[in-house]
Amino acid sequence: MNREDLIQKWLDNALTTEEFKAFKQLEDYDELMALDNGLKQFKAQDFNTDLELQRLTNSLKNTPAKATSWFKPLLRVAAILAICLGSYYYTTTLDTSIDTLMAQKETIALPDTSTVTINALSSIVFNEHSWSDDRALSLEGEGYFKVAKGSKFKVNTPVGTVTVLGTEFNVKQRTNYFEVICYEGSVSVEYNTNVVILKPGDSFLVIDGKTIEKTPVTSTTPSWINNESSFTSMPFKTIISEFERQYNVTFNVNTINEEQLFTGSFTHNDIDLALKAITLPLNLTYAKKDGTIILKSE
Amino acid sequence: MIKNLHDTICDEIRFNTFFKKHSKDLHDFLYYKFGDHLNPKDKVQEAFIKLWENCGKVKPEKAKSYLFTIGNNLMLNEVKHQKVKLKYREKPQKHHTNENPEFLMEENEYLNKLQTAISNLTEAQRTAFLLNRIEGKKHKEIAELLDISTKAVEKRIYGALKKLRKDIKEL
Repeated sequence: MNREDLIQKWLDNALTTEEFKAFKQLEDYDELMALDNGLKQFKAQDFNTDLELQRLTNSLKNTPAKATSWFKPLLRVAAILAICLGSYYYTTTLDTSIDTLMAQKETIALPDTSTVTINALSSIVFNEHSWSDDRALSLEGEGYFKVAKGSKFKVNTPVGTVTVLGTEFNVKQRTNYFEVICYEGSVSVEYNTNVVILKPGDSFLVIDGKTIEKTPVTSTTPSWINNESSFTSMPFKTIISEFERQYNVTFNVNTINEEQLFTGSFTHNDIDLALKAITLPLNLTYAKKDGTIILKSE
Repeated sequence: MIKNLHDTICDEIRFNTFFKKHSKDLHDFLYYKFGDHLNPKDKVQEAFIKLWENCGKVKPEKAKSYLFTIGNNLMLNEVKHQKVKLKYREKPQKHHTNENPEFLMEENEYLNKLQTAISNLTEAQRTAFLLNRIEGKKHKEIAELLDISTKAVEKRIYGALKKLRKDIKEL
């Protein structure tokens, strides 16, 4: 048996007595023995199995076996579902809101075939997803509605609620001012605790908390839709504030009596023409200065 | 249909038996592979805790290799954080003191050389070689422990011996 085989066998601790004798005769023997003895000094630290098991048992007492391994993945699935449902619910119940600025008008198609045109500095809020169950929207400012036939259509304003079935009407809610004009069909207006039913041409007007009777209108649409504001026997201050909204200007009215009644109209397209239209009938003069208009009586 | 009643090692008695059978081998394996400065005893504890936590998922026949893989990974994670300490820091233990100073010095010198030589072996060579020489394990046992063939174990051990002798001569 040659030298390498002997060493190999020695390494496997598988030498027979005779082979061991032969191995002892090898010139490597002394060196290998020295190496082997030296290596014994590197023995791993004592590992006391029982002691270590005791240690393990102690630390395991605080960590019970996870027999319920199905629970955690289930929680994860539940969490994802909750997030999905939550965001779905959130986005579907989110209200749609549309605002107009000064001197701006906008026509909005509602989820059914109804449309609403809102005048300057107005806003509507409605929910697209609950529309089929509940046709309701909130309005601040002025809007002209063409309501498609169907279930009840409700317009909520800070001061009153207007309910209709299918019709055309105009709602104007401004500071100390609430006006509903019905152009077609019939409209029910709920103001404070009163309910008023309007027929075509009828209007409902409240200024400074006082209900004011008006003669029936003959036009079929509100004039502002055609870029003109017209007034019949209105206090001059309502004309002023409408003018301010349409042209984005401010008025300095000095000592002019704002309560005097005005009948007439002004256009939304030409400020000079419009100013003349509101000043001439009342014998007033006007001067423009940096977006402020100063009015004086002659 | 035959159903294996013991398809997990989740009950305490089976787990304890398993611990007694494999904990020392795992410890020695980690010790010779990574040295003592990374607390092989703690890693053994951690590996068994992991095994217990996942006992429902690990089949008994896979438990041993699962355990060794966990132990090895725990060590590797530690090594990642302690790259500086990678040097093999084994200190020989003294068993006899009544020898003459010259002999002591020579022996010390030899052991120092041996230590350097051991730390120069590859991890695979060192683990197999030391399990064989120090723990006296047969090639077949080591092969089972490391999940490799007997031939590979022989090759590693013989290669380690050759390298050690060469290194010691050169030093």
